[in-house]
Amino acid sequence: MAKYFDVIIVGAGPAGSLAALRLARAGLNAVMVERGSHPGAKNMFGGLLHHTPVLNELIPDFPERAPLERHVYKKTLAFLTPEAAVSLAFESEDFENPPHNGYTVFRPVFDKWLAGEAVKEGALLLTECAADDLIKKDGRVVGVTVKGREGELRGNIVIAADGVLSFLAEKAGLRKEFKASDMGVGIKLLLGLPEAAINERFHLVRDEGADISFVGATGGMRGGGFLYTNRESVSVGLVVHLDSLRAAGKAPYDVLNGFLAHPLLKKLLKGAEPLEYSAHLIPEGGFKAMPRVYTDGLMVAGDAAGLVYTNGINLEGINLAMTSGVLAAETAIKALEAGDYSARTLALYRKKLDESFVIRDMKTFKNAAGMMHSERLYESYPKILAGVFEKMYRVDGKPRSKLLRLARREALKEMGLKGIVADGIKIGRALL
Amino acid sequence: MNIENLTHLTQFQVDDQAHIIVNKEVCRTCDHRACVLACPANCYTWDEATGLLSVVYENCLECGTCYVLCDKGAVDWTYPRGGYGVRFRLT
Repeated sequence: MAKYFDVIIVGAGPAGSLAALRLARAGLNAVMVERGSHPGAKNMFGGLLHHTPVLNELIPDFPERAPLERHVYKKTLAFLTPEAAVSLAFESEDFENPPHNGYTVFRPVFDKWLAGEAVKEGALLLTECAADDLIKKDGRVVGVTVKGREGELRGNIVIAADGVLSFLAEKAGLRKEFKASDMGVGIKLLLGLPEAAINERFHLVRDEGADISFVGATGGMRGGGFLYTNRESVSVGLVVHLDSLRAAGKAPYDVLNGFLAHPLLKKLLKGAEPLEYSAHLIPEGGFKAMPRVYTDGLMVAGDAAGLVYTNGINLEGINLAMTSGVLAAETAIKALEAGDYSARTLALYRKKLDESFVIRDMKTFKNAAGMMHSERLYESYPKILAGVFEKMYRVDGKPRSKLLRLARREALKEMGLKGIVADGIKIGRALL
Repeated sequence: MNIENLTHLTQFQVDDQAHIIVNKEVCRTCDHRACVLACPANCYTWDEATGLLSVVYENCLECGTCYVLCDKGAVDWTYPRGGYGVRFRLT
């Protein structure tokens, strides 16, 4: 085994594996260093693999070969109050046609498959190896030390795709200390449910899947709930901002239990069998919280580079991760051709990111992270919506109000005129 | 979801070396001990009588919540050695 590599990739997640695949296909000597017993053993997410053009380009037949659960056909946004739910569902026959907009997957299964694709192309995979530190020479990163199977690996370039906490980016001096307000924690319960029951309860056929986002599911904390249907299981969970969780002084699993006890969830999940529980941090600070993504001999990709954005409607990360991995690989290919691994050459990576949808979307929604810190979004708005609908539908022999008047009254009751104006400005800046 | 059942739901390859070490002296005087309630795996316990914070690293989901929430520098948190720690099957 060569102990010296063209590129060392830390982390065989989506960013790392796709980087390795791209490098191996270019005939380069790439190694993935993975701390899990297999790729994916340490990885969790809500459940949705978004359509990612670079994945389709590199593995055109991936939809036939990858271990996918269901393609997402139906998107629902649901506002919850303790006793009510207001849901807005979007389903379109267009979502039936490939390329599909997204697939539910199991990360321990999908990540293992993706790393395997890189190995097939000639990349090397080392599992049970936790990269512990960077090896530097003359100020440049030239390798990593490994804990688990003690030793070190040296190479021309290191790509840190080591996840949200990226100790390597920290050791390279690329990021500042994390702020609790820039982080979300996702917790998830996987629940087994027969395929027929899922299809019936969520109105799905064949391999169609449902994706439901919930506002008002987090016990007043800033965050949201999610539900994704897999073939024979359902992924349900919450994401909450860490500072909000600290302030609330609640245990996340208790809040999850409260969510699961909501009448809507109880009906959807009746009889479901808990299969697995998992949790992970999510970098939710958006564009403004990103670390520097390169230095001499090192590039940072995926969650490690803070490449996640959320605007309340979209929550994307895995597609940004894979794209960044490929862009880092393409930069490495250029640097290796030139024999120059300095920050000046690797700056091309940042340029490529800037030109891609990755940074463009992060920038477009750079104010959304601030909007998402408006507490009212999570409690007042569901209440207002439920209040309007309740009064709209309730038949009780009392005279009715016109719709706008009803909405105004509910909104004023819940948040006052000042609140409405302040949120209008925040939401407008973030989304419109 | 009964957190007491965590180890029945989620698999762990437990290392004999702890990957989380807390500074009990610092924790004793901590004004929030946010780790205790915020940890999604209920790894932290505060004993009011003895004034001691204890951690069960064996059940750690490696999410990083405590690492970010501890602003006292009292949580020495690293990844477990390669191959050890949580081992997700599906999730």
